[in-house]
Amino acid sequence: MNKRFLYLLLLPGILFLAAFMLIPIMLTIASTFVQDGQLTLEGYLHFFRDGYFNRILFTTLRVSVVTTLVCVVLGYPAAYYISRTSARKKSILLALAIFPLLTSPVVRSFSWMIILGKKGLLNTFLLSTGLIHDPLEIMYTPVAMMVGLVHLFLPLIIITLLGVMENLDYELVLAARSLGASSFTAFRKIIFPLTVPGLIIGSILVFVGSLTAYTTPALLGGKERVISTFLYQNAMTLNDWQAASVIAVIMIVITFVVVGLMNKWANRLNPKG
Amino acid sequence: MALLSLEQVSVAYDNHFILEDFNLQLEKGQLLSLLGPSGCGKTTTLRLIAGFLNAEQGKFMFSGQDYTHVPVNKRNFGFVFQSYALFPHMSVYDNVAFGLRLRKLKEAEVKKRVLRMLDIVSLNDFEKRLPQSLSGGQRQRVAIARALVIEPDLLLFDEPLSNLDANLRVNMRVEIRRIQQELGITTVYVSHDQEECFSISDQVAVMNQGKIEQLDHPAAIFKYPASEYVARFIGFGNFISFENRNDEGEDIELSTKGFNFQAVKRLNGAGNKGLLGAIRPDDLQLLVNVVDSKLVSNTLPGTVQVSTYLGRSYQYEVETELGTFTVNQEMEEPFRQGQRVTVYFPKEKLVLVQ
Repeated sequence: MNKRFLYLLLLPGILFLAAFMLIPIMLTIASTFVQDGQLTLEGYLHFFRDGYFNRILFTTLRVSVVTTLVCVVLGYPAAYYISRTSARKKSILLALAIFPLLTSPVVRSFSWMIILGKKGLLNTFLLSTGLIHDPLEIMYTPVAMMVGLVHLFLPLIIITLLGVMENLDYELVLAARSLGASSFTAFRKIIFPLTVPGLIIGSILVFVGSLTAYTTPALLGGKERVISTFLYQNAMTLNDWQAASVIAVIMIVITFVVVGLMNKWANRLNPKG
Repeated sequence: MALLSLEQVSVAYDNHFILEDFNLQLEKGQLLSLLGPSGCGKTTTLRLIAGFLNAEQGKFMFSGQDYTHVPVNKRNFGFVFQSYALFPHMSVYDNVAFGLRLRKLKEAEVKKRVLRMLDIVSLNDFEKRLPQSLSGGQRQRVAIARALVIEPDLLLFDEPLSNLDANLRVNMRVEIRRIQQELGITTVYVSHDQEECFSISDQVAVMNQGKIEQLDHPAAIFKYPASEYVARFIGFGNFISFENRNDEGEDIELSTKGFNFQAVKRLNGAGNKGLLGAIRPDDLQLLVNVVDSKLVSNTLPGTVQVSTYLGRSYQYEVETELGTFTVNQEMEEPFRQGQRVTVYFPKEKLVLVQ
């Protein structure tokens, strides 16, 4: 078949994306620079002068960064263990790791409410053992959001890292060991540097996911706002579409900047140039 | 006393023994090859010596010390992998320097030794290159340099040449032998390629199912295999089972089904035990005249069944009363299919195995 003709197969998809995504996004972005028929940056300046918004922005970034770090710390050793285990064990562990992805975020968030609530499982347990005397306030705080988001994104980073680690030739470790490296040195000088690219890609996925997640922070955060829930509030409750658009653009820009920076970093660290 | 000795070593994998009661000795400065088909336990033996896996039972002695439980990184053995296992994120220089830096040498000393080693393997001016920009042969030489630069007490090769093309393989094995002898370093070399093993080794151990079938000088194994297995493995394609054997005369007298054969007696008895005659396709001769084989010993009448052109020679499948024999013969005019011939077994080429 003619190659040029093959491109036609892409056409329906491209038309769909253009009509329902690209053009609306363009229009949204354009609308944020116009106020009362004039070109202006006032929409943005207004937000960055607002302490409330800055606090929300900060909370969002903090939650996203901590979620990413916790995912890395929990996911890296798990992925390494899974990559080194026998094929049968591997498929079982992988299924278990992916399982949270298969349940709805709503169901998952409600489960966390049962566990983290004021009279939830965690508090009941800690109170009955006498470790604490007053129930912990975890529910409806950024900590609850982080817990929910880590649960949500851990599978993602495990799968990403597993891909990199399975491609890692274990003989490299044996080679390092035979040259006099302890297990730890072999890990530090061989395994870790070679898995950094996967680590960065996984981190990008988790970070961007946390930054834009809605359901989990909305259900577990209560009155605590992150950008996505703030956006929803502006659009749906306050009916301020102009403000909602500005927030959306700020979110897109942050995402692009972070992805861009981390990609650059990943490329520089990529051992294979 | 032997530099290296494995004593009654057993290694199991999933309750299945790969090595059982395995014994091996090696003198200082020698190059020993472990030769055998895949699954015979040769790589397991090598990895056991390296310390990559542990023996269930038995002892590994090295230079008079018990090395059975010494961890890999304390053994000071150089290992060259089939996959080369070069660190892809490090330059050639850093790859070779890796072991030296772990030994906390001063950077000036590291540099001196790395450059000297790269000189030995003829890779000067390649220090800054990354492994993936090198050819297979160059990577192989980096791997050898990296293993040698730590001045190992023992050098281990695991099928180092099997990923190279034929010409390079011949060059590299000459190179490996040269470096090994130049540095006088004791070496264990694993391969499934007999020509490779025979050409570089002081000693060859032919392995089968976790046991050594025969350990000897390459020439001795090549000429006088000790068992049917070794004979088959090194290319003795033809076998005759004899019924009677008489050692009283100058030669060994053998017979079966009314045919008489003679085989030369050898001084140390190598290739002289048993009742199974073995001979290489290259050593058999086909004669045009049909003789009475019941009267003339070491001959068999037969019919040419298949004739294959091999380039240098023709290969014939000849059917006889004692079975089908494969014969390689150089000639201008090949035998026709169905032609009656006589197969002649030179008595000095006929070997007896158990």
